[in-house]
Amino acid sequence: MSSLYLWGIFIGSLHAMVPIILTATGETIGESAGLFNIGLEGIILFSALTGALGAEAGGPIIGLLVGIGTGFAIGSIFGLINSYFKGVQLIAGVGINLFSAGMVAFWLIHLGVPGHHAVPEESRLIDLYTPLGNFSPMIIVAILMPILVYWLLFRTKLGLKIRAVGENPQAADVAGINIYLVRFLSTAIGASLAGLAGAYISVDWIGSVTKEISAGRGFIALATVVFSGLNPLLVLLGGFIFGFFDSLAVWVSTMPAVQRVIPWQLVSMAPYIVTLLIVAGVIGRVRFPAAMGIPYERE
Amino acid sequence: MSVSESKGGIKLQNSKVRRGDIILEGRGICKDFPGVWEHLVLDHVDISIKAGEIHTVLGENGAGKTVIANILSGFYSLSEGQIYAKGKPVYLKSPRDGIKYGVGMVHQELALVKPFTVAQNIALGAAESDLFFPIPEIERRVRELSKKYNLYIDPKSRIEDLSAGEQQRAEIIKVLYHEPEVLILDEPTSLISVDAEHLFVVLQSMAAMGYGILFITHKIEEALQIGDRVTVLRLGKHIGTRESSKTDKSELVKLMFGEHTPVHLERKPVKSEKVVLEVKDLKALGPEGETALQGISFTVREGEIFGIAGVSGNGQSELVEVITGLRHATGGQIIIHGKDYTNHSPGDIIRAGVSHIPEKRREMGVIEAMTVAENVVLKDVRVYPFSKGSFLNLPHITQHTNDIVSRFGALVSDLWKSQTRILSGGNIQRLILGRETWRMPKFIAAAYPTHGLDAKAIEHTWELFMQLRESGTSFLLISEDLDEIMALSDKIAVMVRGKIVGIFDGARAKREEIGLMIATEA
Amino acid sequence: MGKRELRFFGRTEELKKTVIAGIIGFAIGALIILVYGYDPTAAYTALFSGAFGDLYNFSESLANAIPLILTALTFAIGFRGGMFNIGAEGQLYLGALAAVTVSLFHLPPLFAFVLSIIFAALAGIIWSLPVAILKAARGVHEVISTIMLNWISHYLAFYLIAQVLVDPQRAEKTVSIAEGARFAVLMPGTSLSYGIFVSLVAAIIIYLLLWRTVIGFDIRAMGYNPQAAAYAGIEKWKIILFVFIAGGVTAGLGGAVHVMGRPPTYAVYSGIPAIRGLGFEGLAVAMIGRNHPIGIIFAGIFFGGLLAGGRMMQLFAQVPLEMVRVVEGVVVLFLAIPELIRLFSFLKKRS
Repeated sequence: MSSLYLWGIFIGSLHAMVPIILTATGETIGESAGLFNIGLEGIILFSALTGALGAEAGGPIIGLLVGIGTGFAIGSIFGLINSYFKGVQLIAGVGINLFSAGMVAFWLIHLGVPGHHAVPEESRLIDLYTPLGNFSPMIIVAILMPILVYWLLFRTKLGLKIRAVGENPQAADVAGINIYLVRFLSTAIGASLAGLAGAYISVDWIGSVTKEISAGRGFIALATVVFSGLNPLLVLLGGFIFGFFDSLAVWVSTMPAVQRVIPWQLVSMAPYIVTLLIVAGVIGRVRFPAAMGIPYERE
Repeated sequence: MSVSESKGGIKLQNSKVRRGDIILEGRGICKDFPGVWEHLVLDHVDISIKAGEIHTVLGENGAGKTVIANILSGFYSLSEGQIYAKGKPVYLKSPRDGIKYGVGMVHQELALVKPFTVAQNIALGAAESDLFFPIPEIERRVRELSKKYNLYIDPKSRIEDLSAGEQQRAEIIKVLYHEPEVLILDEPTSLISVDAEHLFVVLQSMAAMGYGILFITHKIEEALQIGDRVTVLRLGKHIGTRESSKTDKSELVKLMFGEHTPVHLERKPVKSEKVVLEVKDLKALGPEGETALQGISFTVREGEIFGIAGVSGNGQSELVEVITGLRHATGGQIIIHGKDYTNHSPGDIIRAGVSHIPEKRREMGVIEAMTVAENVVLKDVRVYPFSKGSFLNLPHITQHTNDIVSRFGALVSDLWKSQTRILSGGNIQRLILGRETWRMPKFIAAAYPTHGLDAKAIEHTWELFMQLRESGTSFLLISEDLDEIMALSDKIAVMVRGKIVGIFDGARAKREEIGLMIATEA
Repeated sequence: MGKRELRFFGRTEELKKTVIAGIIGFAIGALIILVYGYDPTAAYTALFSGAFGDLYNFSESLANAIPLILTALTFAIGFRGGMFNIGAEGQLYLGALAAVTVSLFHLPPLFAFVLSIIFAALAGIIWSLPVAILKAARGVHEVISTIMLNWISHYLAFYLIAQVLVDPQRAEKTVSIAEGARFAVLMPGTSLSYGIFVSLVAAIIIYLLLWRTVIGFDIRAMGYNPQAAAYAGIEKWKIILFVFIAGGVTAGLGGAVHVMGRPPTYAVYSGIPAIRGLGFEGLAVAMIGRNHPIGIIFAGIFFGGLLAGGRMMQLFAQVPLEMVRVVEGVVVLFLAIPELIRLFSFLKKRS
């Protein structure tokens, strides 16, 4: 295989991994506190649109910030329902996905050209053009974020609090920690990273918004979190691997010769198969916080 | 260590508190758990803790000891009454408030995050800002505290790697880290691997420093040994407080268990020699992985009631669970009618003719969200004539339920509509009794069967048990009500810390003997 | 058994929840419609008349309900057993494709029809069995395994549609279901096929299963209280296996009956636009129907109606039909709150 192809796939991986890493890193925070957000897909989708609109109004940075804000807002709703109202996390997450799918499609039609909205050049994030390829500054962000979150979760008292809430909320309560607030904020902040991921897709990477622009990345992020055992550094690795497969699949689908041997669909499937094997215990072991998914009651 | 030298002494000197002053007090404390318990769990309890004293709270389980401790530390809210910290009324809405007013509690179920280290656990409650990682500082202070209080623990070790006794030390250090003035310990010596003597030395030195210590226990000797004052609770009521130097074991037994002489019901002696249940050297672990059964052996004959007396938490629950197939036995055997049923499924054991009146009525004995009819046939639904093939036989179920409900007096308006949740605890128990006894099974494992029932219901239940006994049913009876054990049992075993420490003849046993054995170390 | 039916309608608590959540959903929808500059009254009028206004519209609503009822049953059976089976999405793709596969061969009509149904059910079972086994044997949480399997199925379906089942004349779709294997159209001029009876019968069967059989009793017992179920002698792994197999059957049928009854092409298009999302929509229908088969029938028809009416809303009030999904999302979101009714009385007291 030509090294040019390989390099192209590599660059593609770096771009593809950004939304996955960001979302998965955010979800790691939330899951460490005990909340499982299946609505990530919807958050990415919705933020892609709001981020794009924000970018058109005030430039790419505003777009990214709007994306973060959108993620935070939706995450807050999720946190409110599941932490304070002791809701069923799974169902709330599905509600978010449905709502976002509907809103984005609705809004796109409202904007004029149904189904596809391209973000104008001037609103897009400026990549660094080098002889080696185009690199987005967000790639740096995506690499630094897991490191930052790792530091947060494992080297600060705040991280201890978050993990305690997920592991043994009763002990955390006795220690004087506000369980509900910690869960709420962890999820909201985690979701804001998913929002950033969505905005990245529309404002930077792909540059347009369709009603399917999230393309299952929310679920890949969930798989990545499982894969990484809630360790953000492994999220970096997992995100890159899954981004690699994403990029590889695109490449394979453009090369009929390769298609005949390895269909691109198989490549796309691979991350999910791997995650399934990991969860089944065939490869490695996964350990979730003991109190994940369980609403907290004191007495 | 003189009072003025130790930090606690300095504490006493700096604050305006003198040794012997009351630093924490509860007056008229009431607590109810509506929907869960029919009666008040705490009924106008008064309790006080003085600086420099160790005050033990003594009572059987269900007496309300843990509840009062939780209320004083802020973990539970009180329904009525008032708490005073150094004479000022305070309102404790959470453990954080408790810490603020200088109350630290070491729970019976340790509030530690297992995968974390000792230092990390302490860091959770530490006051420093969230973005810092005060671990090295905490580790240093832990080592200081270890030395000062003679409680050695390595701050870097992970909780899940420590023994139960070491975990407790970690928990105590964690509480002491906040420099409370009152230290509450809930049944600290109930874990098998705890070094009680060492703990007592530590507590006494802390009292000398000026701490006020509240020590919850069910063991009389311990209460006398360590306590300066002893308060006895029974059924949520404050029975009395004594200076330990001015009282003795037998007075405390009387206060704890009551004065009267119970009856031993009239009966024909056990005729059959046939063994229905044989338990051989049974070993099992409890829910937290701790040792629960340490080699239990006994036999129950046909038509015999085998009672197990003792404070709950000594392995009785686990014993019943293992026998009924709900818990894994790590060693030993369970032999029913000569066949080995060790570690068989609950379904198998039910089919072997074993009924189970469970301890946790609402959580296990019935499914609250299902209707009364459904609960009455919970176990029988699988067999003819309650189902024909795969289909439920609704008319028969209805008829049977009506029968049971009227026979056992479980009042309910609509069998098929009302959720069992709405029944009172007593009615639920009646339903369970009906369900578990109507077939006249060969063996019934009854755990606390009359707990929470009114006097009439208790009487009926006893009658029922004696009738069944007449017709050949054998019983394993677990109860904390010593009267009940003495009234019903042909044989009485006392279980302490997962072992049977004595077996008495039901007809000839004396209450004080048994009471003493229960409330003493093995 | 008049008493039994009474019991369902006696569950007014559940019904109240759905109504409250529904009102909130539509209210928020109206708000959004207003904010974007449309007329909510016109929109909702068009919506509801488009859903249930005349026989034609109503038939379209029923047609939409067919797969929704089936996939909702998948989730509902799982929920009743205390599990979150969200694998209908992946299972229904394969069910649809299994039916298409049968039409690759030239078989006598009735035989093809029956075989399609059977294969679809089998496909659903094959895809749900791993979830059950992983849960029973290794304690793997079904949400994770179903998410993975859903996506594996998604790409597998793409592959099969493009490479294996592709129509030689028109590469963007699969081979069509053979004429003899199709569900005949029930209402001429509409998309409503006899497949609706499959959905209704399935719902009734599941209802009978849950409340009239021993296994149904055990499933519900375990769903309410696994500890008590163990105490009663119910074997957990049996229940897990049964719940997922039953769910697999209904999901597989959901995909197949949809394809086998969908004029004019009776095929699956690449990108699976028609069947995609039916699994998650089924989840919403299940929640709205309070996870009760009879409720699901009504919720399915209601929701199918909204989808059909959405088109009218778009045509006459210019409100994009996706608003329906927005309302759906909000309703599901609020249904996630267990104490919804108490929350509202609490808020009322405050103000």
